[in-house]
Amino acid sequence: MTQYASLLIALPLISAFFVPILKKISKKAIMPYLTLITLIQTIIAALVFRDVYTTGNPIIIMAGGFRPPVGINLYIGHFASLFALIIALVSFLMAVFSMRAINIEPKDKYAMLFLLLMLGATGMIATGDIFNLFVFMEITAISAYALTAYNKDAHASEASMKYIILGGIGSSFFLVGVALIYGSLGTLNLADIAQKASLIDPTVAQVALALLIFGLAVEGELFPLNAWAPDAYQAAPHPITTLFSAFVVKASLYAIARIVYLLSSVETWQNILNLLIILGTLTVVIGELSALRQANVKRMIAYSSIAQVGLIAVGFGLGTQAGIDASVFHMVNHAIVKALLFLAVGYVALELGGAEFEKFRGLGKRMPLTAFAITVGAVSVIGIPLFNVFWSKIKLLLAALVAGKTFVVALILGASLVEAVYYIKLIHVMWFFESEKGEENIVLGIIMTLLIAIIVLIGIYPDSLWHFIQEAGRDIFDKAAYIKNVPLLEVVK
Amino acid sequence: MTSIGVYYFGAISLILIGLYAILTKRNLLKILVGLSIMETGVNLLLISVGYVRNATAPILSDYATPTNVVDPIPQALVLTAIVIGVATTALALSVAINVYERYNTLDIEKIRGLRG
Amino acid sequence: MVKRILAIIFILVIGFWIANALAKVPFGEDKMLVGKYYLENVKEQTGAINAVTAVVVNYRGFDTLGEVTVLFIASTGVAALLWRRREERSAEVDGSLILKTGSRVLLPFIMLFGAYIFIHGHLTPGGGFPGGATIATAFLMIYLAYKEYEIDHNLFEPLEGLSGVSYVAVGLIGLAIGGYFLFDWIWQIWEVGDIGRLLSAGFIPIIYTIIGIKVGTELTGIIDRMIKESKEVEG
Repeated sequence: MTQYASLLIALPLISAFFVPILKKISKKAIMPYLTLITLIQTIIAALVFRDVYTTGNPIIIMAGGFRPPVGINLYIGHFASLFALIIALVSFLMAVFSMRAINIEPKDKYAMLFLLLMLGATGMIATGDIFNLFVFMEITAISAYALTAYNKDAHASEASMKYIILGGIGSSFFLVGVALIYGSLGTLNLADIAQKASLIDPTVAQVALALLIFGLAVEGELFPLNAWAPDAYQAAPHPITTLFSAFVVKASLYAIARIVYLLSSVETWQNILNLLIILGTLTVVIGELSALRQANVKRMIAYSSIAQVGLIAVGFGLGTQAGIDASVFHMVNHAIVKALLFLAVGYVALELGGAEFEKFRGLGKRMPLTAFAITVGAVSVIGIPLFNVFWSKIKLLLAALVAGKTFVVALILGASLVEAVYYIKLIHVMWFFESEKGEENIVLGIIMTLLIAIIVLIGIYPDSLWHFIQEAGRDIFDKAAYIKNVPLLEVVK
Repeated sequence: MTSIGVYYFGAISLILIGLYAILTKRNLLKILVGLSIMETGVNLLLISVGYVRNATAPILSDYATPTNVVDPIPQALVLTAIVIGVATTALALSVAINVYERYNTLDIEKIRGLRG
Repeated sequence: MVKRILAIIFILVIGFWIANALAKVPFGEDKMLVGKYYLENVKEQTGAINAVTAVVVNYRGFDTLGEVTVLFIASTGVAALLWRRREERSAEVDGSLILKTGSRVLLPFIMLFGAYIFIHGHLTPGGGFPGGATIATAFLMIYLAYKEYEIDHNLFEPLEGLSGVSYVAVGLIGLAIGGYFLFDWIWQIWEVGDIGRLLSAGFIPIIYTIIGIKVGTELTGIIDRMIKESKEVEG
């Protein structure tokens, strides 16, 4: 009876639809309701995670009871169950933060869009059908457009507009890719496509894959389709920025990796990997250099986040098991660190009315715990030992060395150096200036302490998590196991 | 002309016309029109991928048997894609209304609050 | 000017690139694989004769649930973004006498036609989305004719939510009875109805009725928000 995992999709959906009815009963109940639902989602995700990792088998959900490729299936394997848990957990923390951070009406719409953003990202990592992936991508994207513009001020509207235009181009490209694959194989199921991949004409496969990558690159924040990202990060409500960085990007990156690795038997596959490496490298370089000259801390961290995304894409482009493992590890670590950083920075911006550098002057005196949280996050992102990101950067370095891509090693080291420059500037501003004392919120303090503890724990004992990461990485890399796990119905002409 | 796929030609042309509008137009509404044209092109492409010569609509009856109807899947996909396109357009228009209220213009060259 | 030339070169490159791949996907030939399976088994497995509706609601029901969600997000998003300017309408006078009378006369017929489209989705071309859109046009017409008119938000918003809840609930009933989310228990277990009749095709008419109501209320809601923009936007 593993089909209960379909609640991962059904629960946020039915809860979002229920909000208009709840609004008629009590308007005050909406934000606590949002928190409650995300908490229940976390519990379900934890149960699914435990099931998948104890049995070692993925949960296959067949919608409507039709066997794939006739029906749509969800594939909740090691990666999906791990990430569904992260998505639900971060959503829960941010739902708590939203109670304080969201003061603009209409809050009931905010709660609905929040739940649907979480749903979309969960669906993207869980689905086993390429068109269903498109639908979930659009659910994520459209709720992200609306949430970006939620503050309704000039910046928010402008950022959302850019996002919509790029997103529209991306989704059209994605659909053309789907049309090419469907036209060649007559099937939309990912496992079925993987099985028949060698039948696709190499040119068609190459163009289709490139189009799919470009389509997903908008959400995945890869250059040149990431022009919306810094604006949206800066203008969106603070909890939403965290969600973007923690899982919306990750879901798209995962989708890219999943599709690319499932089609690894096409002849032109190497070109696609090179494309990923080039896009990733450009993303890192441009992201880091732009971060250097920002006057707004939230925007600076946004650029830093984009650069990390580039590193993850490069890891996926290495084409080896070690590269994927390192990228998945970096995804998890980055999700935790950026959740902490955006939470802390968002809290500061909320209290002091802006995220410019001057606002952070003397933060160590005014809000010591928050300043400490930002410091831990910054130090971790740079890649100092004893913090979690250090390990994933090392793994990425080793994977690049083994794969023989020495310039990737230089890229990672260079990126870390640039990160050190701008993050140390921030740390300096926070701790080496005087300011009056202030108060801090206890609930947010607990969340930040929790995240700091996770970061340091992973930093000291990386091996305990590494075991899970390797399972998740193998889930992406091992195409044969993926095909075997999906109970495909043999459909013949 | 029917044999070389005028539908493919038309679909790609629509996609490119839409893309051209997005790249060169300065008025926000015209850009959104471009997006819609591009979506239409993609939908046409999907439909023409599923087209089978001399076949009829996939509603089964005495005359329409599984052997002489077109592929139902692309039609179902396009149905979904159209609705998604409508949703995007509706949202984009309301964002455009907000942009106009804040900046008093729809010219994207003048909407430059966020830089760097 | 330079920008235009660059854009033209860019789109030509992209066009050539896509066309190059598309040339390998033959046009007009029977390329069906899963599609064939649907056509051959649609009557027996779903009880519908319209294969497209069967694919939309039954085989790929998950997509449709997502599609409904996307429209729901759009209506929610529009409501969230245009939240503050609820009162004003840009129209200064009512529509002409012909429009006013015509819309009154036609309203019930349009609604009836919309309902017809979504109830007969499993037999004829159509379904919940066109049906819902038809119903929304009836309201659009009233909006155009009468500047004072406003839909009852206390009714429409909960109705929208309720129909969404019912769709997921139908799916969860399938999970409880048949063991799979969105399982069509009415056709596959109870076997109600005759193929080709109105009462057939399991839960397709039920789901399409839900979708029809949902789409109708959502599109009407979007029209309501957008038509009330303030006057400066018009100029």
